[in-house]
Parts: sequence; structure tokens; C-alpha cells
Amino acid sequence: MPKTARLILFAAALVALLFLPRFVSSYKLLTYTTVLSLTLMAQGWNFIGGYTGYAAFGNVAFFGIGAYTTGLLMLKWNAPFFAALAAGALLSAAVASLVGVAVLRLKGHYFAIATLGVAEALREIASSWDSVTEGATGIDLPVRSDSSFFYYVALGLVVLGLVLTALIERSKLGYGWVAIREDQDAARMLGINTTLFKVIAFALSAVFAAFAGGIVAYQNIHVAPNDFFKIEYTLQMIIACVIGGVGTVWGPLLGAAVYQLLSTYVWAHFLELHPTVLGAIIIFFVVFLPRGLMNLFRRLAAPRPVATVGAPRKRRFLRDLLLANVRASRLE
Amino acid sequence: MKRTGFYSALALALLFALPAPAPAADNTITFGAAISITGKTAKEGEYTRDGYQFAIDRLNELGGVKIGGKSYKLALKYYDDETKPERTAQLIEKLINEDKVNLILGPYGSSPTGTAAPICERYKIPMVEANGAAESVFAKGYKYSFMILSPAKLYLRGIIDAVRSKDPGAKTLAILGENESFSKEVAQGAAEYAKEKGMEVVYQELYPSNAQDVSALLTAIKGKNPAIVLGSGHLQDSLLIVKQSKDLGVSPKAMGFSVGPSSPEFRENLKGSADYIFGATQWTESLRYSGDDPWKTPKAFADAFRAKHPNYKSIPYQVAESAVAVIAYQKALEKAGSIDPTKVRDALAAIDLSTYYGRVKFDSRGVNIYKPMAVEQYQPDGNKYTVWPADVAEKPALYPMPAWDKR
Amino acid sequence: MSSAELSQIAVNALLLSGILALVALGFSLVWGIMNIVNLSHGAFIVVGAYITFWLHALLHVDPFLSIPISMVVLFALGYVIQRALINQVIRAPLLATFLLTFGLEILIVNLLNFFFKADTRSVQTAYSGAGFVIGPVRVPYIRLGALIVSLALVLALGAFLNRSRLGRAIQATGMDLDAARLTGVQVKTIYALTYGIGAALAGAAGSLLSTLVSFDPNLGGTYTERAFVICVLGGLGNVVNVIIGAVVYSVVEVFVGSRLPALSQAITFGILVLVLVVRPTGIAGKSV
Repeated sequence: MPKTARLILFAAALVALLFLPRFVSSYKLLTYTTVLSLTLMAQGWNFIGGYTGYAAFGNVAFFGIGAYTTGLLMLKWNAPFFAALAAGALLSAAVASLVGVAVLRLKGHYFAIATLGVAEALREIASSWDSVTEGATGIDLPVRSDSSFFYYVALGLVVLGLVLTALIERSKLGYGWVAIREDQDAARMLGINTTLFKVIAFALSAVFAAFAGGIVAYQNIHVAPNDFFKIEYTLQMIIACVIGGVGTVWGPLLGAAVYQLLSTYVWAHFLELHPTVLGAIIIFFVVFLPRGLMNLFRRLAAPRPVATVGAPRKRRFLRDLLLANVRASRLE
Repeated sequence: MKRTGFYSALALALLFALPAPAPAADNTITFGAAISITGKTAKEGEYTRDGYQFAIDRLNELGGVKIGGKSYKLALKYYDDETKPERTAQLIEKLINEDKVNLILGPYGSSPTGTAAPICERYKIPMVEANGAAESVFAKGYKYSFMILSPAKLYLRGIIDAVRSKDPGAKTLAILGENESFSKEVAQGAAEYAKEKGMEVVYQELYPSNAQDVSALLTAIKGKNPAIVLGSGHLQDSLLIVKQSKDLGVSPKAMGFSVGPSSPEFRENLKGSADYIFGATQWTESLRYSGDDPWKTPKAFADAFRAKHPNYKSIPYQVAESAVAVIAYQKALEKAGSIDPTKVRDALAAIDLSTYYGRVKFDSRGVNIYKPMAVEQYQPDGNKYTVWPADVAEKPALYPMPAWDKR
Repeated sequence: MSSAELSQIAVNALLLSGILALVALGFSLVWGIMNIVNLSHGAFIVVGAYITFWLHALLHVDPFLSIPISMVVLFALGYVIQRALINQVIRAPLLATFLLTFGLEILIVNLLNFFFKADTRSVQTAYSGAGFVIGPVRVPYIRLGALIVSLALVLALGAFLNRSRLGRAIQATGMDLDAARLTGVQVKTIYALTYGIGAALAGAAGSLLSTLVSFDPNLGGTYTERAFVICVLGGLGNVVNVIIGAVVYSVVEVFVGSRLPALSQAITFGILVLVLVVRPTGIAGKSV
């Protein structure tokens, strides 16, 4: 597809999404908003976890900071939502930068556990700091009734995330991240200020998690520490990235949509066994498509090799497609 | 690269087009509920669901609800909220918008109730909740939520009263609670009440949710040697506290919990260690209430429920309070003469019933403060008796609790 | 804090560290050898707890005697899971194995929930809660027994890894996969054995936990998290490190828990992050 055609497609999709609230029930809209919130978190995680290759395991901390900052500013100072949301994002970025300078020296699992530790510590601080966060009781934001508002805010920010990711991917910053992911020492040798680049990635990931936190807080109204600092959100953003494809522009959106919509469907139809079904789906994705859907689409779109004589072409093709990853990843 | 976008769009389109379930017929009033079938409170969620369903089935057997001369059948539509409050909010949205349920029955637990209440407020659909006792939810001025059970602050009062009636000299109290909205309110309520009664609270701390070891807290408590030790947490916490108290030889004269002892699993897990322990309870089948509902008395309710669910030996209060939420709706619907949610809401606000569950009436916040809490105690004959309030007690309370190594 | 309270708290911490060392042991082995952060570890622990519970409830098997049974069952389960599933993605990016074990965790927990319901259970024996007293300190028999079993298993694993041929093959594989393969080690089998042993140790931990705390299918997650923290605190690569990690963790948790229980995890994790920043390979791990 030429570039203009792609732009037209993108614009058409955007227009369709803009008019979506007119045609669907407000529950459907809520589901899509949930998809978009997860997309925001995943887009954030993608900067640090996808492009830079640092398996951040505590991004829910920034989700929580975003939620609490937005909520508290709206409640205590009657701040308008967007100002509060921006403040939450800024505070998250600041915290991420401070924490990042210290923990981004760590690698692999050690980085993961350090970020997890930060998130868990923040959760407990939010649970105990009664004078500010009202502790475990939680806070209640003002009730806002039009569900399309949340949808549009989330949609706008997701588009921002897409554009930003696409721009960064082709910038010095993006190349620097990938260089760090592939070989940090070599990247340093090339004159990249690795600490600065990593801290930027981490701070950006915090900004997007905080956006999601603020939106979810305002939409869900009730904000309590155990609900907004839970490790599950971190897992969800990672899963979304992996399903979609880490280190890609569209991966987070695609993965978030697949994961969130599938799980919504599954829990509505399998009353008691929905976690089993969801677990099986995750296992399926990991075993057959560990490099994500974007990678699958790329291979689908690539020119097909000539089929060997004898085998029916289509079946062989599908089987190759699914088993390619297994063949590459298994241990004989 | 070229077709990547096409496939992405196709996949998204397919996902967005997943089918939705069909709405219910029009001579049926459907209650919607998000209940924990999996997750941390899966067991209590089961009690809740069974209570709702039992009352609905019974009312249907009796011909349904008559509203303005027309008979309506009742139905329950529920989903699993996995004990996750954000899921509860999402499911309440789904129930109201997509399944078009008429009225909402509450989830299990205070945190899910906290997220469900504002959603009901948003759509002006009433919710009678039977399993979230934290009053903080009701301090926000929501008009459409009603708490049919006694609020958290009252939970441990009965135990303090029961002990003090036996021994006015019991003056020192230790409270340990889970750091979570409901348990925190229970602990605060107990501490305030004890101070009002001139007692000294020698230890009051909160521990994090999912605690697996409370030996540190118990060792500190042992050093203070209080007459009464009270715990406010959940079933697993109360089991842990009893086990570790025994391990560490923490032997107060009385020990009691807000949640835990009322569940049949308490004794199954602790065997003889459960003896002498007090438990707060919303309701027991030996209370002497009589009321205007399909069962009239607690005993009749319990027998009817056991006949339908033989796997329940004793009836947890969650079942009774969940069932009475349906009864409250029945009365409100009949009085409102309409299924219009706002009219039902107004009828609920004005309700004043005597039931097998006790008095049901809501204050201006929507909280039923008119029904007292009861206290149960496990006794060495292996049974659990209602020991408080004194006028409805089956047996007197046993006090003091003997030391663990002298049993 | 009085000296009586202090010594009781110290003993509590010591007893806790025994069981936590066992909780982390299998996790550390799988992580160290296979580079897999096994999020289904907690689910294996719960399966072990159920095995002990049912053997005790139905056949009156003493919980300590059921440990070998639960280890054998979980070894088989772990072996099969590794061969059938994990082996398929073992060379995929790190996150793949991570998510695979996460999927396994929710699947196993949900199946347990479905078949055994969410009832809270625990194993109560005649000697539960009994103990002896030394001066101001009480030592419960069960916790002491758990400590002894844990230590025995830690030492047994250490001896197995260092003394036996198979154990050395496992260690060699963990250090250098390709070199081990060149010397004729069947890596696929080694990995399956390692994962099986990891699961078996989780099963033993579950059996012991069933006597100490009450459990339902959701118990595991919190122990996976603890195992993670202990491994990082102690460092990978040696069974002794696990013990050190467990002791440090328990001491912090118990002492902080006695003064500031509501902040115990915040402080524990704060210390964890500090340890990591100052000494990224753990307190006892080799420096890079």
C-alpha cells in the first residue's frame, strides 16, 4: 500500500471510531474505553519494555499515581479533569525519572523485581497515608454520566500515543532505544547517553500509564489502593504488548483489543471457567505466536514461498505459519 | 509489510462484532448482580448468589410479584466479578445497558459495593446491597443505594457487650484489623465503642491484606496482656490469628472476630481450637424474629433453605441477608405499583418491614441501622450457639476462655 | 520492646524463614538453571497443599508423611508441563516463558476452584498448636518440624546438585547450554527434570503450608511474589543464597511487622529496592 493510501485508511478508521458512540450501547462503549485505557498502558510499557528492552514490572505504580493525583486534585481543589490528568502525568514522569535513575542500572529480572517493589511499596503507602489518600477507604470522584466523554479522551490519547510512537521509532531516540535493547555496551560506545535514553523511555511509559489511571479513576469513580495498584494491571499491559507485538507501533492497540475483547467475551459466556479459557488463550498465543500478531501479519503479507509439490498449498501454508515460531523456539 | 494494516483491521473488526446476549421477556422483572464466583471471596459470593436465587425461586413459586394487578415473574442475571471491584463496575454497566435488567442486587464485599454504587447512581437504577457493610460508601450522598445489613461499626459491639455483661472487670482490649475499607471501619467502630464504655484499647494496628503471618502482631499483643482480643479481617485472617495465638500461647479471656466464626469452615479448619471464640453475625437461625415474608421466622427460612440446598449444614448469614434484599424489593415493587426505577427507589426509601431477618428500614443515607448484630460462640460440645443479644440468646456465653494448654 | 518479646520475635522470624526458604527453593532452581521466572510456582504450591489436605482428610495420612507423595505427583506434573508446553517456547524471547507460566497459573487456580470450590481449608492434627517453652519463648512443634524439613530439603538439593552426576549436568546446563550440549547432555531432559524438581519442591512447600495457614485456590500468588523477592535478596546460583534471602526477608517482615504492620510490605520492598540498587546480584550473590 502506498503511503497516501495508508493515511487515507487511517483517517477513515479514525472517523469511524469518532462516530462509534452514536451507534453502540453505553456498555459497549465502556468496553471499548477499557480497551483504549489498556492500550494507553500498553503503549507506555512498549517504550520501556518493547523498544528499550527493559521488562518493567511495576508500571501499575504510575497508573495508580495518575489515578490518585487526578482524583485528589479534582476532589480537594476542584481542579478541572484535564488539568488534573496532566498533573498526574507530570508527577508520574517525575517519579519515574527519579526511580529510573536508580533502578535502570539493573538488568533483566532484577530490573523487573525492583520496579515491582516500587509499585508494591507505593500501594502500601497509599493504603496507610490516611491524611492524604484516605487510606484503604479510598476516594470517590464526582459522578460524570456521559460515557462518550471517557471514550473520546481515551481515543484522543491513544492516537497521540500512536503518532508519538511512530515519530519516535524513526528518530534518534527510537534508534537509540533499539540499540540499547540489542547491546547496551555497543550503544554506549556509539556515543548514546544510555542513562538519559532509558530514563526518557521510563518517564514516557509513566506518562501514558498515568493517563490511563486518570481516565479509569474518573470513569470508575471509586479509587482504592488495592484496586489501583494491583500487579494485574502490569501483567495486562505486558500481555497486550506481547499479543500485539512488542516494539511495534500498532502492537499495543491490537494486543489490548484482542486481550480485552476476548476476555470480555469469555467471562460473559463461561460463567465459572472463564479464567481457564483465558489462561488457555494466553498459552495458545505464547506457544504459537510468541512474537505477536504484528509479526504474524508481516509474515502473512510477505511473498509466499512456492509450495512443495504434493501437499495442499493452503493447509501447508497455515501450518507453517503457526508452527514457524514453535520450530524456532523449541528445544529438540 | 503491505497487508499488515489490512489484517489488523480485519482482526479488530471481527473482535468488535462479537455477539451480545438477548434481553429478557416483558412480564419478567430481572435483577442484575455482579457476584464473586472466583477470586478471594468466591465462597461468600456463592452464599450471596444462593441467597438471591432462593428468594427469587420462592417468590416465583408463590406466583411472583403483583404490581398494579399484573403478575411479574422474577429472574436473576449475574456475572462473576472475580472479586475485582473494577470488574464489578464494568459488569453493572453491562447489566444495566446491555442486559437491560430492571433492578440491581449488590455484589459481595465493601470494595465492589463501593464501585457499584456510583454506577447505579449514574443510571438512576436502585441497588439493594446485602454484603457490603462499609459506611464510607453511604457517606457520599448516593440516592439509589441501600444497605440492608448492619453497618461495619456495629460488628464488634455485641461481643464487647456480651463479655462486659459477664465480667465488668474486663477493661483492656486489643484490636487487629486488615487494612481494607470494611475491616478498618469495623476496627475503628470497636475501638470507639470500647472507649465509650470506659475500656482501654491497649493495642490497635492494621495489617496488610493477604497477611500470611501475624506472629509479630500477636507477640506484641501478648506483651500487653489484654483481657479481650478482637480481630477484624476475613475468614482466612481469623483462622490465622487463632492458629498463631495458639502457637504463641496468646490466651486472652475472650477472643472474637467480625468475620470468620459465622462460616461453617471456621470449625472445620480449627476443630477444637474454635471453642470459646466469639463471632459477630448479622443473623442466625435461632434468633426470635417474626415477620411478614414467605418464611416468617429464621428457623423456617433455614429449614426451607436446607431442604433446597442439602450441602449447607448451618446457614451462613450471607444467605439470609442476600435473600432479604429480594424481599425488600418485592415489598417496594408492590408498594410502588410500578417497575419504574425511580418509583421503586422512593418506595425502598420509605420501607419499614419486619422480616425473618429482623427489621428492614433505611436511614437517610440508605443504611439499615435498625437491626442489631448478634453474637455466636463455639462451645465445647461442638456446636455454635447464639449468645447475644441476651433476650434472644440460646445459651449463656462461656467465659473466660481457658488457656490453650489447659484444655 | 522487652527482651522476652524480642527473643520471641527472633524465634518467629527464624521459624518463618525455614518455610519461606523452601517456598523459594524450587523457584530459584528453575530461574537459575532455565532462566524462567515461573509464575505458576504458587499454583504448584496450592496443588501440594490440596494433596496433603485430601490425604489427611480421606486417609488420615499425617501431613509430614504426605510430603513425599505430593513431591512425586508434582514432579510428574512439572515434567509433563515442561515437555508439553514450556519446551515449545524455551528459546523465544524472555517474556514468552513468563507469560506462558502466567497463563498456566490462572488456568490451574481456576480448575482447582472449579473442582474443589473456594472453601477455605487447612490441616489440623493432634499436635497442631502444641509446642515447648524455653524461657520466655514458645516454639510450636509444627513450625519447628517445617523448619527441619525445609532445611533437610535445601541441603538435599545442594548435595544432589553438587555431588551427583545428574545434578552436575543440571548445573552445567544452567551455566552454559551449548557447552553442556556438546558434552552430550540431553538438554531437553535436563530441563524437564529441573522443572519437575522445582515443582516437587513447591509441592513440599505446599504440604507444609497446609498445616501452618489456611488456604484456598488463590493462596499461591502471594507466595510466588515472596519467592521472587527472596531469590533477588539472596541471589541466584546456590542453595545457601536462598536460605540467606529467606532469613533476611523474614527478619525484615517480622520485625517491621511488630512495629509498623500496616507498612511492613512497603518497608520490605523499600529495602529490596535498596539492596538491588546497591548490590544488584543479591546480598550473597557473586558480584559481576
